[in-house]
Amino acid sequence: MTARDDKIKQVVAELDRHIAEVEANVAILKALLADGESPGEEDPL
Amino acid sequence: MTDVTSQTLRQWREAQGWDVPRMARELRKAARDTGEDVAAHHGLVKMIPQWERGNRAPRERYRLLYLKIFQDALGGRSQGMALGMEFALRLAEVRSRAASLPGPGQIGALEAAALAKPKKTLTPAEIRALAAEAIAHLHKVAAKLTELSALLGDDQAEAGQP
Repeated sequence: MTARDDKIKQVVAELDRHIAEVEANVAILKALLADGESPGEEDPL
Repeated sequence: MTDVTSQTLRQWREAQGWDVPRMARELRKAARDTGEDVAAHHGLVKMIPQWERGNRAPRERYRLLYLKIFQDALGGRSQGMALGMEFALRLAEVRSRAASLPGPGQIGALEAAALAKPKKTLTPAEIRALAAEAIAHLHKVAAKLTELSALLGDDQAEAGQP
């Protein structure tokens, strides 16, 4: 295991963390939109 | 472990002297041995080059099959190579996830759509903060992809969205 390999693993771990943050926030925004389209807002008749 | 791109999958396949159809047969054989369901031969023949180019990342069951095949092929002689394979697969997966992230414009559109509808769960300020944070992390994703490409000595920063 070289220093370069360690650095690559570190960058991949950081990349993974940032991707997960984006995915989580986007999932919340999409969930908000999905909630807004819920049948509860429609005329029950 | 000097070459940890998705191309490693191709290099290790070729090191065995296997063409893509043979790799597909080996995956199906390994799957049969473990009782796994996998794609049909012609489907694998299409997917394998995509995995090797990094266009798509193999799903977990295929990653495990790859590990099984190459560990068996090496006769357990090289744990380092198996670890390299595992890392190459993880790298392919991370790059694929990065490539499928929405761009800043798409996040902005989601933000605008969410703001257009009153919400009980989040205030408009919280929605704006959420979108801004997502875009900030998106820029960090692009920076890390560039850093990774430089470390790997390749020009595969195409996965960067922003």
